[in-house]
Amino acid sequence: MNEIVILSGKGGTGKTSITASLAVLAGNDAVIADCDVDAANMHLLLNPDFGTTIEFFSGELAVINQKQCTRCRKCEDACRFNAIGYADKKMQVIPIDCEGCGYCEIVCPTRAITMSERKSGNVFISNTKAGSKMVHARLDIGAENSGKLVARVKNEARSLAVAGNKAFVIIDGAPGIGCPVVSSLAGANYVLLVTEPTMSGLHDLKRICAVIRKFRIKAGCIINKWDLNEKKTTEIKQFLQNEQIEQLTDIPYDIRFTNAMTKGKTIVEVPSPYRQILHRIWNEIKSQLPK
Amino acid sequence: MKIAFTSSGTSWTSLIDPRFGRTEFIVLYDEEKQLISAIDNSHVKNVAHGAGSATAQIVFELNPSVLITGNGPGETASTALKHHHMRIFVDAHDMTLKQAYEQYKNGKLKEV
Repeated sequence: MNEIVILSGKGGTGKTSITASLAVLAGNDAVIADCDVDAANMHLLLNPDFGTTIEFFSGELAVINQKQCTRCRKCEDACRFNAIGYADKKMQVIPIDCEGCGYCEIVCPTRAITMSERKSGNVFISNTKAGSKMVHARLDIGAENSGKLVARVKNEARSLAVAGNKAFVIIDGAPGIGCPVVSSLAGANYVLLVTEPTMSGLHDLKRICAVIRKFRIKAGCIINKWDLNEKKTTEIKQFLQNEQIEQLTDIPYDIRFTNAMTKGKTIVEVPSPYRQILHRIWNEIKSQLPK
Repeated sequence: MKIAFTSSGTSWTSLIDPRFGRTEFIVLYDEEKQLISAIDNSHVKNVAHGAGSATAQIVFELNPSVLITGNGPGETASTALKHHHMRIFVDAHDMTLKQAYEQYKNGKLKEV
């Protein structure tokens, strides 16, 4: 089983549009994982059924036992996030402000405060319209993506792929280069980069390439919307050449991507030349994976 | 010499865990005593952030001469581990601990 991670560095380059297209082309040969959990949106294109829901816990939340609390307000003074206040004649934790640091627990003279595991969202295992299984997640308000959550989504996807004897796990990675991205890279066999010819597109491409180099993973790149800035596209091509990253194709700006998206479809499901192009890319990626 | 592995299990037949920070176990092999022991890393595996440096701390305390792992360690963990005179061998994923150890002995693992 091979893991393919799609990354961009910069958000908004078309990473998810490409990932969902590959997911449709791969069909039942792959398990799909949406690790871009802060702005999960692949479900809009793959129409999953949200078949199984698993609660996800991450971090901690202060809980006050009102029977033990003497309203001394030491916790309120100690909390640097202003997450504890006095209201309705009792000390109350404002969950959205609580960072789970545990300082209040330490200063409480009557040990009325305990830290409890905090539910931060749900992980879903779905069947997609492409016939594949998909693992995705939805965060609760104020919760953030983490390396832990990405590891969880990936592990579920990996188990499904092994159990179903699937050849691939296709992973939509998070933007940036932080903890969730590093977590999505561990164990990956190939990275598909999707970039765009803008200042920040190239800047963030350079940053993500440095991370990929660190993990010694083979990578290829698609320059999306290449015709928006031909000079920048030339710069990107030069950079890719220096980095010895294969430039797989460049795709022009095309309103058909957006039109398909507004209908909840990927570009490979509507008439356009891109079905053939992405089919070729998918075969190219497959040919580069370890057997 | 002591050798540390990032591992998905606790025995010689377990697979190398490709992850460094969120590895399931750290297995330590003492060549002189011919003893194998395993440290459960699930506590680190479940932190939201900073898994790399937390695992680096554990490896630091175990004080092995050699570390054998998969993709990682990443930037932060590497920087921390550089302060330790430890040889780091990588790309051992898809091998059992036994296979990885043999490959290491035969000088076939990639060193960083």
